[in-house]
Amino acid sequence: MLAVFFLAVLVAPAAIAADLTDVGYLDQAAVGALPQFQRANAEVAQYKAQLDPQFAAAMKHARNDADRQRISGEFQQKFLDKQRQVLGPLFARAQTAIAQIASNQRLSVVVDKRIVVFGGQNITKSVVDLVNGPGPVVPPASTPPPADIGFVDQTQIDQLPKIKAANDNFLKFASDARQGALQKMQAAKKNQQQQQQIFQDYQKSLNDEQNRTLKPLVDQTRSAMANVANQKHLILVIDRADIIYGGADITADVQNALK
Amino acid sequence: MSKMRSSRKIFAALAAAIVVLAGCAQQRADDPNVRGIGYVRIEEVLKKHPLYPQLAQIDDSIDALGLHSLGAGAVPHTGKQIAVQTKELNNELKAAQDRANGILRQKQLDYAQREQAAISAALAAAGAGTNGAQSAQAMQNISASQAQQVTAQANNDFAQYQQSVVSQSNAALQSIGAQLSARADRAFGQRATQLQERESQLSLELSQQDANKRLQLRMKLNGLALPDATRKQYREELAALDAREAAAVSAQRARDQQTLAAYRAQLNGQVRTEMAAQSAKIHADTQAKLQTRRNEVSQAVSSQLQGLRPAAVPSNLPAATRDRIAQIDRTFKAQFQADAQKTIAQYQATKAELDARYAELQGADATATGAANSQLGQLQRERDDLYNKMVEQIRRDAGTVAAKRGLQVVLVNIEAAPGGIDLTNDVERDIESLHE
Repeated sequence: MLAVFFLAVLVAPAAIAADLTDVGYLDQAAVGALPQFQRANAEVAQYKAQLDPQFAAAMKHARNDADRQRISGEFQQKFLDKQRQVLGPLFARAQTAIAQIASNQRLSVVVDKRIVVFGGQNITKSVVDLVNGPGPVVPPASTPPPADIGFVDQTQIDQLPKIKAANDNFLKFASDARQGALQKMQAAKKNQQQQQQIFQDYQKSLNDEQNRTLKPLVDQTRSAMANVANQKHLILVIDRADIIYGGADITADVQNALK
Repeated sequence: MSKMRSSRKIFAALAAAIVVLAGCAQQRADDPNVRGIGYVRIEEVLKKHPLYPQLAQIDDSIDALGLHSLGAGAVPHTGKQIAVQTKELNNELKAAQDRANGILRQKQLDYAQREQAAISAALAAAGAGTNGAQSAQAMQNISASQAQQVTAQANNDFAQYQQSVVSQSNAALQSIGAQLSARADRAFGQRATQLQERESQLSLELSQQDANKRLQLRMKLNGLALPDATRKQYREELAALDAREAAAVSAQRARDQQTLAAYRAQLNGQVRTEMAAQSAKIHADTQAKLQTRRNEVSQAVSSQLQGLRPAAVPSNLPAATRDRIAQIDRTFKAQFQADAQKTIAQYQATKAELDARYAELQGADATATGAANSQLGQLQRERDDLYNKMVEQIRRDAGTVAAKRGLQVVLVNIEAAPGGIDLTNDVERDIESLHE
């Protein structure tokens, strides 16, 4: 009888962690599908459609590549300005709504729905209602509480000289390998068996090079992230792209650790 | 009683042992290093899924098809290019027909002249009482002025032909140059557009990512009782955010410009190489055409000079002479038929080769523009469907495992995990059991 009691305690840990989590998630596609976002996106697309022929006409008068690059930069800047002007206020409103809902529900972090496979608090409907509501959205009075989840900006990590150099070298290797494989493929013409072998060799060379040059750096980066996260008492680290609100940014610490 | 105490001791020891073992085997959800959080390394679980070999095979097929379709880059794929090649083949066919007809006409003329010469000889041999010698003489009677006229006309024709061929070659070269440049410009434009879209995306992502921090700073700035120094600091932080975003986009743009410059150099190199090859080919074709025409003109002039003013066969000939002339006529006609047949057979062989090239061209068209793209699209759809099904199954399974373990939230796409419960092995076991 006592054994049964002990076993029952052992197999029912769910009762121990029954509190609501402070991790929320948002379906960004649902917010993006709101009519005001759709209209804004259509406006940006229409602007681009107007800009394209002007761009093409300007490029025709370009005398050299420097001209082309200058024109390209100018038009790109125009487009970015428009994008910011049209979409900026909508993003700001949505972000304020997310902050307010997160504050109301005592969430320390809000992540993208795609990375949640179980649990968490879905705040999509609340955010959509608030964004659609009348009047301005009021920002919360307090900042989010400290989170158990941290994040890193992988794009910034990738810009560290040694990682960038390794990535660039690998891209060059991949490009050369592809070019070589293409030439061999053309020489092999209709010999499928030979082509299959060329393709397998090409894939193997890429995998080998990746394991030789990139994998050690990936392992080193992961290890640095884990160490920094440990020091900051974080449970998990995710990519910045998956964070919507809150969370602890450890990018700078990881960059320092990797230098 | 002592038996009962003993049993209790055994149970207690057993329970303690189970607790120790469980503690070693599984972390608890309320552990300070877990705090109700779990995670799954979904890419690892995918490899254990029963459908993974199928997914890997589709991935390989997509990669291979991508390489094949790129590998066929030297073969023109677009409808316009196919149309250009078809036109070239039509021109070749027409040229082959004209050539065959020209040769036949030339042979006809040649045989007629030789027949005429043989008849004249027969008439001359028939001798006195006839006008054969005069006729034979008449057949050879070519005035110097007529010969000059024929030669001048032939030279004039050849000069016109040469001019026309050279103009065509130049036009073809210019056209090819324009096509190659246009193709390079299109490729450059596509790459530039891709990079620009990436810059837009980066700018958008950065502003989204910083929105959270920016909002917090603005909220802090809204505080009325904020010391000036702190307010200044927050403003500077806001400005730094803007500057960082702008710098990131500018840095990306600078990198993209470098990429574009390198790409332009590569494209220019390709255009030069291809142009040199096409130029050499066109030059060789032009020289061959001119040489052929030169030979033809030379033969034609020679024939015309020989064949000018052929004499008429007299009507009052002896029977034997008439029979001889009839015999000559039959012989030359038979020889001409046999010779002409050879020319026709050569034309048929050329046409068969052109037909094969038509078929190949149509095949290349269908493969390149239709089948390959459609196959790639189909494979990509199959891959997405399969991947989504597998991931959905893994997510469901992870949910079940997480509920059993009493976790509050389980995430995927983890960069690092100093804490939390790794459910990967549990989910892998469940997924692997699908094999059984």
